[in-house]
Amino acid sequence: MHKTGIKGFPYYLGLDSLDEVATRTDRVCVLNILGGESRQVTPVSHAFSGGNVVFGTSPGRRGQRLATPVGDIPVYNNVREGLSDGLSFNTGVVYLPPSGVRDGVAELIRVNPDLRKIVMITEKISVHDAREIRALGQANGIDIIGGNCLGVADSWNRVRIGGALGGDHPDEVLLKGSIAIFSNSGGFTTTIAQYLGTEGWGTTTLISSGKDVYIHYAARDFAHALKNDARSKAAVLYAEPGGYYEHAVDFGKPVVACVVGRWKSKLTRAVGHAGALAGSGDRAEEKERWFMEAFGVDALFTPEHPVVSAKGAVVTNIAHIPAALSAVMRLNGETPDFAPRGNLALKPWIANDQGLELPAELALPTVEAVSPYDEQIKGLRTQVGAVIPRQNMKDKSGATVMDPRTQVTSVHGYSVLDLALQPLEANFALPLVHEIATENDRAMLDIAVAAEINLVGDPALAAADAARDAGNSPNTVMAAATAIIGPKRVERALACSARLIDLFAHSGLLDGRDESFDVGVIAVDDETRALFLATEAEANDPRPEAMLKAVHERGGRSVFLKFLESLGGRLSRDAILAAISTTIAWGPLMRKRISRLTAETLPWYLRLYGVMIGASIPGRDHRRGSLCGIPRDERFGRWTMAEFLFLALTGKKPTEDEVRPLQILTGLLISNGPGSITAQGAKGAVAADGPQSPDRVQINKAMIGFLSHSGYSHGGNGFEGMAFLIEQFRGVDLKDPSDPGHGLDLKAMALAFAEKYKHDKRHAKEAGSDGPRALPGVHHPIFRGKPVNYDPREQFIAEYMSARGDYNVFHAFYRALVQALYETGASRYVFCVNIDAVIAALLLAILWKDYRSGALSERDLETAAFNVFLYGRMIGAAAEIDDHLNRGRNMDTRTPQELCAFVV
Amino acid sequence: MQITGMLYGSKLLKHVEFPTSDVLGPGATEDEIQALIARHKLIFIKPLFKGGIGKKGKSGLIGKATDLKTALAEKERLYFVEHRHENAVAKANGVTFEGGVPADHEIYFSITDSTEFRAPTITLTHRGGVDIEDVDARYVAQVPFEALTGLKAFVVANALSDIGAPKEVISPLVQYLPRLWELMHHYGMTTLELNPIRMRPGREGRLTPVACDFKCGFDRDDPRWQRLGLPDHLFTADTSEFEQEVNQLRTHQGQSDVFVINDKGTILAPTFGGGANSLVTEVLGEAAIISSDFGGNPPYGKMKEVARICYKHWLRQANVLFIIGGKSNNTDIHETFRAMGDALREHFSEYGPTPLFVVVGRGGPNLVRGMGTLAETCDSLNLPYRFFGFDSAISEVVNYAKKVDTWMKAGGRAEIAQLLGIKSPV
Repeated sequence: MHKTGIKGFPYYLGLDSLDEVATRTDRVCVLNILGGESRQVTPVSHAFSGGNVVFGTSPGRRGQRLATPVGDIPVYNNVREGLSDGLSFNTGVVYLPPSGVRDGVAELIRVNPDLRKIVMITEKISVHDAREIRALGQANGIDIIGGNCLGVADSWNRVRIGGALGGDHPDEVLLKGSIAIFSNSGGFTTTIAQYLGTEGWGTTTLISSGKDVYIHYAARDFAHALKNDARSKAAVLYAEPGGYYEHAVDFGKPVVACVVGRWKSKLTRAVGHAGALAGSGDRAEEKERWFMEAFGVDALFTPEHPVVSAKGAVVTNIAHIPAALSAVMRLNGETPDFAPRGNLALKPWIANDQGLELPAELALPTVEAVSPYDEQIKGLRTQVGAVIPRQNMKDKSGATVMDPRTQVTSVHGYSVLDLALQPLEANFALPLVHEIATENDRAMLDIAVAAEINLVGDPALAAADAARDAGNSPNTVMAAATAIIGPKRVERALACSARLIDLFAHSGLLDGRDESFDVGVIAVDDETRALFLATEAEANDPRPEAMLKAVHERGGRSVFLKFLESLGGRLSRDAILAAISTTIAWGPLMRKRISRLTAETLPWYLRLYGVMIGASIPGRDHRRGSLCGIPRDERFGRWTMAEFLFLALTGKKPTEDEVRPLQILTGLLISNGPGSITAQGAKGAVAADGPQSPDRVQINKAMIGFLSHSGYSHGGNGFEGMAFLIEQFRGVDLKDPSDPGHGLDLKAMALAFAEKYKHDKRHAKEAGSDGPRALPGVHHPIFRGKPVNYDPREQFIAEYMSARGDYNVFHAFYRALVQALYETGASRYVFCVNIDAVIAALLLAILWKDYRSGALSERDLETAAFNVFLYGRMIGAAAEIDDHLNRGRNMDTRTPQELCAFVV
Repeated sequence: MQITGMLYGSKLLKHVEFPTSDVLGPGATEDEIQALIARHKLIFIKPLFKGGIGKKGKSGLIGKATDLKTALAEKERLYFVEHRHENAVAKANGVTFEGGVPADHEIYFSITDSTEFRAPTITLTHRGGVDIEDVDARYVAQVPFEALTGLKAFVVANALSDIGAPKEVISPLVQYLPRLWELMHHYGMTTLELNPIRMRPGREGRLTPVACDFKCGFDRDDPRWQRLGLPDHLFTADTSEFEQEVNQLRTHQGQSDVFVINDKGTILAPTFGGGANSLVTEVLGEAAIISSDFGGNPPYGKMKEVARICYKHWLRQANVLFIIGGKSNNTDIHETFRAMGDALREHFSEYGPTPLFVVVGRGGPNLVRGMGTLAETCDSLNLPYRFFGFDSAISEVVNYAKKVDTWMKAGGRAEIAQLLGIKSPV
């Protein structure tokens, strides 16, 4: 039996009118109905179409059902089983993988005599199979649509068959109207329908044709059905280069044709040439011309040059389709189907300029999205701070990275060299706010830490002193005090910062310093008020008042402090600490640079900073109201972090010239990346507590992890360089290491040492021993082998100091030494002066006068060198702890058993 | 995926026992070339191009020799010759030596799929040896045939009758040409062209068709070509390292068809949907680095891998990461954006930050969730961004991306570099 197609066509075509393409009476069978794509799309189609899918197939899954909003769809192993069960259908939909499509089409045709249509969604069907599918359809009188398409839909009939035209909400796009759409692009079928709505045009039938070599339902077939569809007054046709499907087609009704793809003819790749049939004469330009000739227009339609005829218009931008269509329809005396819906102007939904000053044409303000997306976006905005995905963080860091070329480590994007030039307050804040703090925030941080350093009466001090007295190293002393600052010691401070974030998160406040913000809009209940106010047990703590006074003296601005002060009661030290930390964290939190967890835990770090510095000062110097003799108000009101560190090292207030080298020194020591032993210790401590339950991670214990992973070889070895320099300058009359007029012949000193060193080396070689010990501060395994070598970090500091006119005799000696080693033949090339030499030179210069005077012993110098390392590294450790807490997984630093080894 | 020339053409034709000219490859010794000349008197020396490029004959790229000295001189001339035809440029790497086939008749024959007839179609003339476009249409037969039954002898016979072919060529062509359908259809070809087929007289004057030049194109979506055992390098000529890497991910589950448009471009635009890709590539013009279609609901893992490869090759030079598509029908926006964001984060981890402005225009399932996830990534990387919904015209969003690109070139890139703490020249 051979079905007869529509007369006049040299091939079989059964669809006579567009209103037959997707009807309410069509009954559908979906092949591979449980495939990934169908599983998502078919239920929506089925519900939208009033339940038109009678069954689906999926070999081996008979008896399963695909749930949909309008009832389950039964699944059979094959088509025959479904038919045997008494089900019938006239339309097949193919979701099979490419290699199975041809056989699926054959199954549909051979098994079901009632079949009329097939819609093939699958893409990447081979041309081989497409040829045979075409032949199968032709031989059996079946209309085939696709492949590589999104199927068909009908806005009048409220039916879609096959793919996902209209997406997951077909109602939004499939608006009843008078325009038919035929598109090579599935995505654009929906997009064009949506665009048409902006000029008030709805749709009749929408056909996503696909754009394979074989377009089984093509423009000529569409044109015939368009003519016979009384509902369709006009059509939009979207075509891309390739193929003659649109050539010499008579549409019979107005058409706006959109041809996109001129760029394809500019491709420089070789394109095969197999006779005149393929690959020529069907470029975008030629297709434009076919349509222009058909419509009787001499140019493309653009808004600036709106060329149309009553027959149609040609555009090359789909955004121009609605205007072109309206213009064509006006010439035909037709008006839009409904009032325009929306417009196509630029509408940013979500934006962040990250503080950049963009030109006005780029800095478009966000606009409220259409419903329901507006509510969803509002929901996003309730999310405060960054969200960071968790992963295994063993030997990884999101905070620090070392450049293997320069050996310079960066912390949150800032190299330690740059950080060395920043005020220390900024460096102490950086690990936690990921930005360089402003002047206001730096002053706030000074006060917050100052309030924690004096440990008089605190068990932390007793612990530190006991550890010190027991002969422990400086890191162990610090660790003893740190252990005392456990979760309960910060419980209220953290609760205060969490509450402040809750109160202000959706208040519109973007800048924590913006005191013009009306804190009156923040509603406070009694419980919240009580949280912030000091208890009776705290009545004797003088620090809250001193802190507030210091804030006012320093001109500090904080919305949160202003808010707390408006509560009308005596504030607790925890509340003030939380207000300060929230002020510092607020901007980065609102800009989503940091997570809420980081902002909430900031008071813990600030308290730890203070306690760790305080613990390095012997207990005898902690007094009520004074530290090393410096009164509280002075320390709170004026002192900087660098001054505190100097005080801790020497017991004295520094001059400005003494502060700067210490600041540089501390900055240089912040981090050596996640591979350093200290970082590993900190990260391991976080991993062991389980960062996936961040509430249980003891940040003080993580600091102890860093401290327990420093020691005489890592941290304490800073003294080696100083000891070397002391040896060289022993017996020399050096009063001021920063005075270039020191009167010493550094070159002669260096040459004398080099000669001796060379001699010792040769002697040791002859004796067969290891030779003299390696020189501290000289040479580096990376910066070596050239005639003259430099450590870029040393160069950076040297250039900075030179530009400022600062001088350091020990540094100058080191530079003379490497030259002398070469000149005497002790080295084969000029070694670099490495960063350890800079650290030793800077620190010895700071402490030289006290050393000379006998106020500091060599043992004190060693302790000082160790403590400076700890001060710098506590910043880096804070960065790693916070990073691991936010990103890491429980126990993620463990080494798998197979990577461990047993040795004998 | 194309093959031209007789070096591999003769091997393919042997699969269907179609006679070919005598061919030596670029590694032929002088003795072998001398022997070829001795057998055929006249030989042709042709440059070896990978892929397909036309008009070699007209460009003087086919050498002839009747002695070894000339053959070697032609080899030297053509071995690395560069050939330009329209936009296509190809560089030879080697030559073939092909024995001449004396004949009175030259046939043109091709099979391809005609979009006019929507069927496999032969094109045939007995006046071949020249470009088919140059042959008088009266002597050219274009005949579609049914794919299920294939190219039958009667189709060839009817075609030759229609164009008045000389009777002595009809029988051998009717006998041999249908074999070419077997080669084309069963080994995943989309086109097959032999021009010329020279009709070599044998004993008693019977003619044998001998293929003297060969072109074919393979269907990337059809694995049948792998049955031929061809070396992979044959198909690597016209793709960049990037295209090779990214197109390895080409499966039916999510597309990844990618071309390099301008390797000096400054907008990296992963595009979703063929239509959007076409529009975006068109409007971006020279600024576009790649043309891509990542639609078809790619799974997370695949999308991330595609993004990783794109970033690795192009992010350093890009001013704008431009993620653009229409309102997707079933591509899960959250999955694709999450994948691209994660790949971006990992790229920054591995290669360090690079100044970038992120512009998005998209619609579809899970849109806002996807935008939210991507925004979080941009925030954590400190990158400025603007995300447009599907209610902004795609072309306007493209123009916005171009404006951002212009601003980036005029100092914006340096500003973002400063924001990211990048010191080295950007």
